[in-house]
Amino acid sequence: MEEMSSFPGITRREFLKFCGALGVMIGVSRLAAPEIADALATLARRPVVIWSQFQECTGCSVNLLQARRPNIAQVILRAISLDYQEVVMASAGDQAEGLFQKALDRGGFYYVCEGAIATDQPYAMTVGGKTSVEIVKAAYPRAKVTIAIGSCACFGNIQAAYPNPTGAKGIGDFLRNEGGFPDARVVNISRCPGQAEDMLSTLLYIVTNNKIPALDPIGRPEHLYRNLIHDKCERRKHFDNGQFIRAFGDDGTRKGWCWAMVGCRGPLAYAPCPTNKWNGGLSWCIDNGPCTGCSEPGFWDTLTPFYDRSPDVELPDGIHPSTIGAIVTGATVAGIAAHAVGQTLTHRMGHGAVMETVPGAEATDEEATEEAESAGAPPSSDGADRPPAGNDRQEGE
Amino acid sequence: MARKIVIDPVTRIEGHLRVTAVVEDGVVTDAWNTTTLFRGFEIFMKNRDPRDIWHFAMRICGVCPTAHGWNGVRASEMAMGVGRMDDATRLVRNMMEASQIAYDHILWFYVLNAFDYVNVPNALRAKPTTPALRAVQDQVRAVVESGQLGPFAGQYWDHPGYKLPPELDLELTAHYLLAIEAQQTANDAGAVIMGGKFPMIMNYAPGGVTQLPPPEQIAFFKSRMTIVKKFIDDIMIPDLLAIAPHYMDLANEGKGHGNYLSWGVLDEKSQDPYDRLFPRGGIFAKDLTDTLGFLSTKPGAAVVPVRKVDPDDTRMFTGHSWFSDGTGNGRHPLEVGQEDIEFTQLAPIDGPELPGEKYDWTQAVRYGNDSLPMEVGPLAQMLVSYGSGRAEARAVVDSTLRAIGAPGKIELLQSDLGRIAARVLKAKINIDNAVRWAEELEALGPKAPVNSMPEVPESGVGKGGWDAPRGALCHWVRIKDHRVDTFSAVPASNWNFSPRDDKGVRGPVEECLVGHTVEDAERPLEILRLVHSFDP
Repeated sequence: MEEMSSFPGITRREFLKFCGALGVMIGVSRLAAPEIADALATLARRPVVIWSQFQECTGCSVNLLQARRPNIAQVILRAISLDYQEVVMASAGDQAEGLFQKALDRGGFYYVCEGAIATDQPYAMTVGGKTSVEIVKAAYPRAKVTIAIGSCACFGNIQAAYPNPTGAKGIGDFLRNEGGFPDARVVNISRCPGQAEDMLSTLLYIVTNNKIPALDPIGRPEHLYRNLIHDKCERRKHFDNGQFIRAFGDDGTRKGWCWAMVGCRGPLAYAPCPTNKWNGGLSWCIDNGPCTGCSEPGFWDTLTPFYDRSPDVELPDGIHPSTIGAIVTGATVAGIAAHAVGQTLTHRMGHGAVMETVPGAEATDEEATEEAESAGAPPSSDGADRPPAGNDRQEGE
Repeated sequence: MARKIVIDPVTRIEGHLRVTAVVEDGVVTDAWNTTTLFRGFEIFMKNRDPRDIWHFAMRICGVCPTAHGWNGVRASEMAMGVGRMDDATRLVRNMMEASQIAYDHILWFYVLNAFDYVNVPNALRAKPTTPALRAVQDQVRAVVESGQLGPFAGQYWDHPGYKLPPELDLELTAHYLLAIEAQQTANDAGAVIMGGKFPMIMNYAPGGVTQLPPPEQIAFFKSRMTIVKKFIDDIMIPDLLAIAPHYMDLANEGKGHGNYLSWGVLDEKSQDPYDRLFPRGGIFAKDLTDTLGFLSTKPGAAVVPVRKVDPDDTRMFTGHSWFSDGTGNGRHPLEVGQEDIEFTQLAPIDGPELPGEKYDWTQAVRYGNDSLPMEVGPLAQMLVSYGSGRAEARAVVDSTLRAIGAPGKIELLQSDLGRIAARVLKAKINIDNAVRWAEELEALGPKAPVNSMPEVPESGVGKGGWDAPRGALCHWVRIKDHRVDTFSAVPASNWNFSPRDDKGVRGPVEECLVGHTVEDAERPLEILRLVHSFDP
């Protein structure tokens, strides 16, 4: 943006840069950029992506337009054929519906879903006169891989908050339990909104490798969601040292201390926030306030009230909760139980992501173990554009 | 012969929308808008902790969550007994909102709206004048020749309503790509750097904001907003002026009821809603005909009579919504819920059947004792600013009218084209003032108070009243037994895309559609233009 004369997505050099960023995001070396570029370039047709929006706020689509690792314009012009996406597509009405139907008839597309399925009140969500129930049941079996972006499509999210007036459900939950696809597999990219860069890099990994990454017990790519936010948080040292913000704007806030006492849910949520961050890696929630745990199923019910310290967060040794102000009840964490299965929760996990083959998709390689140092890739090397993050502040003492 | 047209889905919008119109001899004779999404916010907000409201409320709209955040946090603050905001809180919230307005209006002008006017395939016929434009043209050609048109597929590109010469189509296509970066930069400036991410910011909290942004964040805001200002001044405004002369026929289409409403947005030091950068106010069609109104032809002398307006004069009707008739009944939003759902049927797209008695998940929102349908959005904000005598609004409106050869003809703004112009001009006033908020914040020093989180009281009532980028937005909350008893939100699209009210009066967009030209009923490009001019 600073050089307004350059247009994105145009030259081979920029495309290689894009592929390099992509390589880093999906956990292979930046040096693999030419291979990724060739893999994309040698496809006879750009892979078709169809994007449905159900019960949603369009926030995931808006985050898609914020993506720059990889850059969204380059993705659309060079890497994929985004044949149906309501926010960006030129056509509307029956023209748009015709494109959707054409993709379904051909099959073999990559299906991205944003938003929840309205199951109890199906007409609470229609597109082209069809309910979300009808649309997803028709599209899922024709798709090569289905990706749920954002916590609505993954787990139902806000419209599923008690008492869930419309019977909102996540895509996978609906397909497996009501939709007639008991073995349905959906790749979940949770958080609210869905982090589009995570989704795009996962999608393009699947495209170039013809397999999906290993998933955790609730359907999320393990290499992205294996760590507690808390364990990778750059403010973790303040938690360990008992240095807490007690009220917004206090001295501890100015020093960049830990938000746990004012409600941070980082110790209860699994997501690559501390490493991948948001909006091109510029910032993340913890730079500016406490985490709400938006990557976890049911967080509107299980992790609220947001501003009360959760009793499920164990404090470091030597600090007794009774010295720390109000303790409020209510939080139980569905995600925790799910995660405890087959996972070691340690502070620093350095293992690469184990990939597994997509059922129904032809695998080209054996299982690969990638060399990702962490789920989150470091931001791209053109660091000159990086802003000063709030947490870089020097401590006063 | 009369013919039914259904556009479902209307694309390039937030959420889900159907428009049904009857077209006879090239003119719309009747119209209905139907929101095809219901989630039930007012139901699941019950019994929550009042401090959490704003986090929930942001999920009403992922395109403009910052304005929902402001309304939610302010409504809960008022209900918890917080009066004025700390000055630092006011300024941080202004900076966040300015960032959102800048991103939103750029995104709307290029990504959501431009394809109705800019013919992308036609750009291939242009003779590029610079290497950069040639590169863009080559890229467009590569996409077209690949046979995989992606987002460009299926539009009515051969419609005679596309009027730009190929060179302009190419330039605007290039600017579309730049605009994707420009809207990211606008978001980065405030929402991302101070809010943690976009959409869904993290730095508001009842009683203020979570922290005083450190100096590096404020400096970042200023530098990024300066870049965005360059984009708006050097690219977006010239684009508006380049396009407008080719579409002057659209300055006479889509007038509608002629009532305009703004709750105002961006607080000055007084925190008086009538003193905001975009002030609160209402303009009523009746006043316009009673006075000289827009009739003046002398530049700068047009009279636009503005009245004071109160969010508590908002009234809800459900006779044509999928809620029981007794739910609305012309009552205040806090007295109306969403719980008595009465879904009847969604009319089939094919066949002659028109929408039934009940046809919308949106309740009809009306203003005051006369239950008037009100248009909200940048056109309303600019007219209210103009009528309130704001120098900046008068300067940009008058100079734009002169530039398109219609000096003083402010009534031309009441149209499809006028709404586009108003949104671009509002973007300019917003960006011209953005850095000022940051400088005022810096002047408060590093110890300025930013938060006094209140205790949740046993009971209380509060409201917001702060425009989203797409128009008037207000949240209300009532606290009982320390919990949320009632929450209600009336966003901009509830005003503009209201269905008929219980008296049968059409909503603002429905009314604008009636009488609108539709050259070719098979390809209703003009309906998309009108609907998009409201930024649904």
